[in-house]
Amino acid sequence: MKRKLVISMVVLAMVALGGGGLAVAQETYTVVSDIPWPPFEMELEGEFFGFDLDVIRASAVVAGFKVDIQNCEWSILVSSVQAGAKDIGASGLTDFRERAEKVDFSNHYWLANQAVVIRKDSGLNLVSAMTGKGPTGAVGAQRATTGGWWVEDNIQAAGFNVELKQYSTYPLAILDLVAGRIDAVIQDEPASISSLTAFPDELTIAGIINTNEYFGFIVPKGDPNGLLPRINDAMVVLGVKTAMASTGVEEFEITEGSFWENLVATYFGPPIEKIEAAWSKCKNLLLSATCLEDLENYARCMADAVKE
Amino acid sequence: MEVSSPIIEKRIVIEGIAVIGRYLPGLLQALLTNVQLLLALLAVGFAIGTVVALLQVYAGHFLGVPAFLYEWVFRSIPALVLLFLFYFGPLQFGVSIPPFFAATLALGFRSSAYQSQIFRGAIQAIPQGQMMAARSMGMSRVRAIISIILPQAFRLSLPAWSNEFSSVVKDTTLAYAVGLNEILRHARFITERYYNLAMLAYLTIALIFLVLTYSGNWSLGWLEKRLRIPGLEMAGVSGRGRNLSK
Repeated sequence: MKRKLVISMVVLAMVALGGGGLAVAQETYTVVSDIPWPPFEMELEGEFFGFDLDVIRASAVVAGFKVDIQNCEWSILVSSVQAGAKDIGASGLTDFRERAEKVDFSNHYWLANQAVVIRKDSGLNLVSAMTGKGPTGAVGAQRATTGGWWVEDNIQAAGFNVELKQYSTYPLAILDLVAGRIDAVIQDEPASISSLTAFPDELTIAGIINTNEYFGFIVPKGDPNGLLPRINDAMVVLGVKTAMASTGVEEFEITEGSFWENLVATYFGPPIEKIEAAWSKCKNLLLSATCLEDLENYARCMADAVKE
Repeated sequence: MEVSSPIIEKRIVIEGIAVIGRYLPGLLQALLTNVQLLLALLAVGFAIGTVVALLQVYAGHFLGVPAFLYEWVFRSIPALVLLFLFYFGPLQFGVSIPPFFAATLALGFRSSAYQSQIFRGAIQAIPQGQMMAARSMGMSRVRAIISIILPQAFRLSLPAWSNEFSSVVKDTTLAYAVGLNEILRHARFITERYYNLAMLAYLTIALIFLVLTYSGNWSLGWLEKRLRIPGLEMAGVSGRGRNLSK
């Protein structure tokens, strides 16, 4: 009897220690993101959410680590991950060669093309706006983004006389467009669509330029914390797989009814007010999630709520 | 340039004020970062500024010349360039300094150069006879500086120092450029969510700084009155408060 008691106490102690050890082993990694940039990065009442941030939170739950999401200015984001001051970058970061030389990318999770936004009454189209045929002959873009570089590499380099005006944030470019100081703004498609909701009577999308850019999460070169395989595996569990199509374009296979499918339905399409309302309603499911089922419940809750 | 439609309407302004009201607690919380930066950079500026001023007045060439060089360098370079140098400079070598720390050093060194000139002027305004009197009573030069000269010089400095205060209060928003999450950057939560509220958001920040600068200067004015140096010879120098009240 006594012996049994001792054994069970030892077992209990081991369980307690083991459990405690596991809890301590949940490392916390810092995630930097340039918030706001709807629908990828958003803020409501001091809390950060959005497609990128939800995916990185969910990946952390699946892979068994914790994340501390920090708001970080775009101009210093990549360099602070590169220097190892921050562990992960989740900020709609396009994977291209120059950037991939500084940091390592996860598997791609989003295909972004560039949308060109113009004033409805300008009488311009995609080609005339981008080649400087409008009244100002100028195109706007956010500084140090792929949209602006595309104009430099493909329009200006081809000899078209178009001025590229660069802004520290995308909305400043949109405000200048509305005020008539530039003819067009080039920016990733989802963010462009979300900006149209602010000026539905004034602005429209002239067209999409297929630049085939892919977003990935970034970590310091050499992945010192071994995070990339864990994030990549987690994204597969969450419902997205990348596959190379015969055309040479990477395609995403999304599992039906998965976390991923519901999250895409939530963030891409519905207006911002609906997304914010859905977040208010469902956020606790994500913030307290401990397993895949919790995450799937969250994504389902969000997808249902935006339809209301 | 013709504007396609009026962006600002009365309805938008009324709705906008309600939206800004929702964001106000967040803005004020972000303002705390500005205030922390302000206190940190003033402290750095005060400490170094005092040393530089003393070296310029009392030291020989060996220490005096570096003090003049230091003051010249940090008064000549634009604040934004200093911020970039302190933040992006080390980053080039893989050293990432937190934005708050980089901003404290960059703006603190700059302020120390300005403060040194305020203190130098004040030290030189103390009649030479006081040093001679202290020395003749057997005080060492250092003792006389600490006990006789500086206590008076700091009090004389207050009017000019409050001008430096009003200047650096506003400089704290420059740290936005190196990614500090201070009030101006926080305003992006409004301006990028509600495009047509940019004007209202920046006006709100302007108003907040009007209040902050006013209350800071009021406190310094109060301090100036409290610490006024009594006596016949000094009355004219820092008697602004008294003259106004009579």
